[in-house]
Amino acid sequence: MIPKQRRFAGLMLAGIVLSGAIASCASSDRSDKAIKLTLVSYAVTQSAYEQIIPQFVEEWEEKTGQTVEFAQSYGGSGSQTRAVIDGLEADVVALALALDTQKIVEAGLIEAGWEEELPNDSIVHKSVAAIVTRDDKLKLNNWADLARDDVQVITANPKTSGGARWNFLAFWGSVTQAGGSEQQAANFVAKVLKNVPVLPKDARESSDVFYKQGQGNVLINYENEVILANKKGEKLPYFVPTDYNISIDNPVAVVDANVDKHGTREVAEAFVQYLYTPAAQREFAKVGFRPVNETVAAEFSAQYPRIDKLFTAKDLGGWQQIQTKFFDDGAVFDKLLAEVGK
Amino acid sequence: MLRNKLVLIVVALSYLFLVLFIPASTVFYEAFHRGINAFVAATTSREFLQAVKMTIIIAAIAVPLNTFFGLCAAWVIARNQFRGRALLISIIDLPFSVSPVVAGLMLILLYGRNGWFGNWLEIAGIKVIFALPGMVIATLFVTLPFVAREVIPVLEEMGSEQEEAARTLGASDWQIFWRVILPNIRWGLLYGVLLTNARAMGEFGAIAVVSGGIIGKTATLPIFVEQAYKNYQTEAAFGAAVCLGLLAAVTLILKEILERRTAIASK
Amino acid sequence: MNQITLHQFQPRKSQKWWTKISLPWTVTVSYLSLILLLPIAALISKSLTLENAEFWQIASSPIALSAYEVTFITALIASLINGVMGTLVAWVLIRYEFPGRKIIDAAVDLPFALPTSVAGLALATAYSDKGLIGQFFAPFGIKIAFTRLGIFVAMLLISLPFVVRTLQPVLQEMERELEEAAWSLGASQLQTFWRVILPPLIPPILTGIALGFSRAVGEYGSVVLVAANIPFQDLIAPVLVFQKLEQYDYAGATVIGTVMLLLSLVLLLGINFLQQWGRRYAQK
Repeated sequence: MIPKQRRFAGLMLAGIVLSGAIASCASSDRSDKAIKLTLVSYAVTQSAYEQIIPQFVEEWEEKTGQTVEFAQSYGGSGSQTRAVIDGLEADVVALALALDTQKIVEAGLIEAGWEEELPNDSIVHKSVAAIVTRDDKLKLNNWADLARDDVQVITANPKTSGGARWNFLAFWGSVTQAGGSEQQAANFVAKVLKNVPVLPKDARESSDVFYKQGQGNVLINYENEVILANKKGEKLPYFVPTDYNISIDNPVAVVDANVDKHGTREVAEAFVQYLYTPAAQREFAKVGFRPVNETVAAEFSAQYPRIDKLFTAKDLGGWQQIQTKFFDDGAVFDKLLAEVGK
Repeated sequence: MLRNKLVLIVVALSYLFLVLFIPASTVFYEAFHRGINAFVAATTSREFLQAVKMTIIIAAIAVPLNTFFGLCAAWVIARNQFRGRALLISIIDLPFSVSPVVAGLMLILLYGRNGWFGNWLEIAGIKVIFALPGMVIATLFVTLPFVAREVIPVLEEMGSEQEEAARTLGASDWQIFWRVILPNIRWGLLYGVLLTNARAMGEFGAIAVVSGGIIGKTATLPIFVEQAYKNYQTEAAFGAAVCLGLLAAVTLILKEILERRTAIASK
Repeated sequence: MNQITLHQFQPRKSQKWWTKISLPWTVTVSYLSLILLLPIAALISKSLTLENAEFWQIASSPIALSAYEVTFITALIASLINGVMGTLVAWVLIRYEFPGRKIIDAAVDLPFALPTSVAGLALATAYSDKGLIGQFFAPFGIKIAFTRLGIFVAMLLISLPFVVRTLQPVLQEMERELEEAAWSLGASQLQTFWRVILPPLIPPILTGIALGFSRAVGEYGSVVLVAANIPFQDLIAPVLVFQKLEQYDYAGATVIGTVMLLLSLVLLLGINFLQQWGRRYAQK
């Protein structure tokens, strides 16, 4: 009995040692000289960063002689934020909204006051909300038309999608910023939600449900997502409401705790600074983001209609207040949805 | 008799087509409708190959471990009558009903930066979450029940008479396992391993939570699919999905080989 | 992992009671504790960091109750239907020869190998109003994708392999002599089926149903893509958990997770008791 048990145990042990060995092989990289920088961002930025990173790596090597190797991770903004808080050792985070970056501050990984460390309150690119219509017959002129009975709106769920939170704020702000009361805003949003047949998980899925699956006749999405979809062959008419619109601000930040641990502060800070250079800004503009650099913005002005009254998260009370007021459990969004859901 | 047979075949096949084949065919369509070149380009990129490697490494560790466990558990359950037997089976079933996202969350709660063992691991310098070990543990978790659950019914169906006979003839435990039990349970074991492998390769939810999805490092094929799709690289995404289907089919070739061999052996 | 090896090497030094416990028992118990029970303990203990009242308030909020209902009822119906259809498929695959049988047999595992999000996309494409299958239902006013029916189809798909694959090995081992004997003794086809063929198949069918059911309950990736995810209509519990996580509400997420875990455990216990009873019945 005993020897056989040992043999089994031995086999088991061998299995475990083997898995451990493979694990350590897989995680140890060959090149020791290169500096490693981990960038964690949200899904739609990938095509821009794929262009920007090689340029930065080249420039940095010329300047300092050091090679930088990038590890990149892209996913839903909320999931990415959670991963960083739970130990994904990002040196730089570029998330969809400041609320997510703020969560990392609360976890003690980024020092408070990160907004001041970079130009333009650390906002690296912007966007606005856009409205795509299924065909030209459906004439929509402004936000208020979304409440019409012949409209079926596809928008992602603000509970799971950072992007959809911006959409919701656009609905709300189009009323309150024009001088309407909160009650009027709530009534309007309730009517829009009544017209919502599907609540996809994120911006990309809402595009899919609208373009591929043919649900609804109106899609609300980031302007940049719509431009990107257009470039990838989904050609449907869209317009950007120019009377009132939300300024979708995407921040970037260096994760202080991790760069200090890795000794990568210098290069990480150089990288986020680089994102503000015309070269990098141009790459963002190419995939549909509104650049924050004035010169580059002027170059691409044909692509981006001017908004008369652009409001930000700050105008609606700042992210902390927005989250508790609108999106927490039992807050405004839940209430309105329950109203129309029953 | 013949008519019955035809009716049964037609009904079974129509069901399979309706629920499985027609939806699955859209995956192949998306992967290939712009020609084979897009597919080839997508499946020869460095990121893709790295994702394949990760997927295979994880399956290569998780499948044997869970097979070993599954055999032990199946024997315990099928050959012993004890109180709480149904409870033990139900507990073994649990990983399926745990939503993959929750499964990932559990591991974060254990091994994450703020988890139960987070501090120890940090001090010891061992990375579990957002590295291979965490992904292996997540895979072990979601594929835990398969082998045990496939083998139990066969062991029960087989009964213990043959084992007892062998024992009275003086066979050792080891001999009984190899000569008596294994040949009898081979089909159940095989299906268990097939399912474990298919699920280990295809798992997304739990892996996504614990992998961090670092491109070219901790991304597995399902994560590659997701990332490519979100990045509007539709052909790459569906091409990778087709490859996953084919990887799982490799195990079916093993089944075919086994079937032939046993057919020869029994002649 | 180290804990397992410690357990197994201790007996060398001191021959104690645990040397009498056989190896399979040791492995089963220690592996289960490490891989399964420890994480579950972490989940439950996190959910218990909330006050009792708060726990109940989250667990029994109207939106959560409707999510449990959608999840469990749909999963139960889907797994029962697969119990019947899966049996048929397994039977056809094992007993009959027809062209393409091997390929079809191989493809039964596809729902596992395909990432769930791909499966979801595929279903949404095929079952939407203009899809390959959905277009035939649309004229009758039946919408499948983006309704509860969509969830049902997704659950059918992902739980399909369980019944088929649990039944196949048993069918393969089953001796045909019994059937033939029944035949030759003059039993009708129906009698042979009910009295001879079916009884030994019931335990594996129930196993398949139990597994398919629990998988359907936990499924997230494919369902989220074919459902409209509107609360009180077709929002499933795993999506609710994900929503809470995205709001950084770890405690809330673990509460719903814990409730689902306990509900599944109770239902699985029910099915497994039934199965044990069925087995004893079959042996008589």
